[in-house]
Formats: sequence, C-alpha cells, structure tokens
Amino acid sequence: MKPLYTYDEVRQLLPQSYPFLFIDVVEALVPGERIICRKNITGNEWMIPGHFPDKTIYPGVLLIESMAQSAILLGKLSPSIHIDDTASFLLTAVKSRFVNPVVPGDQLRIECVSIKWFSAQGMVEATIRVRDETVAKAELIFSMARNT
Amino acid sequence: MNQEQLINELRVIIAETIEIDDFTDDENFISDLGVDSMMIIEIVARLEKKYRIDIEESYLHQMTTFNQLVATVKEIMESNGQVGGGR
Repeated sequence: MKPLYTYDEVRQLLPQSYPFLFIDVVEALVPGERIICRKNITGNEWMIPGHFPDKTIYPGVLLIESMAQSAILLGKLSPSIHIDDTASFLLTAVKSRFVNPVVPGDQLRIECVSIKWFSAQGMVEATIRVRDETVAKAELIFSMARNT
Repeated sequence: MNQEQLINELRVIIAETIEIDDFTDDENFISDLGVDSMMIIEIVARLEKKYRIDIEESYLHQMTTFNQLVATVKEIMESNGQVGGGR
C-alpha cells in the first residue's frame, strides 16, 4: 500500500530522530479520530543484539514508543487538535497488554484512536497488529509541554 | 436513572480512577486527594464514554470536587436532553 506520509515526511513531523524513530510510514488517517502507521522490524536494528543475545524479541517498551509516536502524528496531522509546534510530549500513564512477541521480519500495523485531547494533555487507545493478529494494546495518556 | 443512581455511579467511576474509596463530597480532587491532570483526563474520558456526553476543557474548573462534578455532569446531560442517560 502506498503510504499517506513517507518516512521522510514522518521524520519532519516527529520531534524524535534516529535512533529513536519508531514509525516508518503513515498508512491511513482520519483527522481527529484515528491514524494507522507502519513499522517494519528488521534484525539489524540497534537494540536487537541486546534483547536478547540468545533469543531475539523486539522490546515491548519500544512497541509503546511506536504507539506514542503514532499519537503525536495523529495530533499533528489533525487540525481539530491544536498542538503547539514547539510542544514536547511526555508520556505520563500507560495501561498496556503484550499479547504476542514481535520478532524481526514482522510488520507492525499501529492503529491509534483518539479518546480525548485538552490543550496540555491527550489520551489515546492504540493497538499493534502483525498479520492481523493483535500483539499489543495500550491506553496512553501524555502531557504536552510548551518549550519556551 | 434518578439523581441518587447517577451519584452512586459517578462515585464508583471516580473511586476506581483515582484509586481512593474514601473521599467526601467537598474534598478538592487536586489539593486534598492528590488527583493530577492525567487522572482528570482519564475521569473525563470515562464520563464521556459512559454517558455519551462531551466535556469541554472549559468545564474543568467547575469539576474540582465530587459535588461540583456531579452538578456539571447533570448540567451537561440536561442540556443534551438526556436526563435519564447512562448505559
């Protein structure tokens, strides 16, 4: 599927940069409501040798980061969600479940659904699927702090 | 749903979210109960989902105690014509 936003466009939108970018492309977007992003997992990513040396499992904490970055993209690409261009995003609460392990070769489909946005906080629900099977889901709350 | 049922439901939602069962109707969520802005957005999201209402950010200043929260939710439900709302 041709991406709605390419990797280079995602890089421009997200405040993070390599080695902390965990979205490859945006596949679909309903502004203000939901976004679907994609990330391919490969065996030569920086964290793989350490997690774990004898059996590779993509870290769950980085699945959460993919969800959080999807939420940032949803916010930034939604005119109805007014996000300050200079805002820093701080994850403040996560309720998560990891259902299946993720390994190199998997393609993550990260769907993030808007629950509530205030001027300085946001709340979303996110689900990551691999081959249509849920591997992780979470409810994320984050604050948006204006950089002065 | 009558007012007593609404109050009971709201008390359960708040207690579950802030993880405090023992609070009075007039204790301040922030200064007395340690509720932070992240819990407040979670409370608002749960109220919106349960009662199918929209709670704008401008209402937050009038939801600082349980009594105020009940009055605000009731006001929004009444303005939506859903006095007997909830599911």
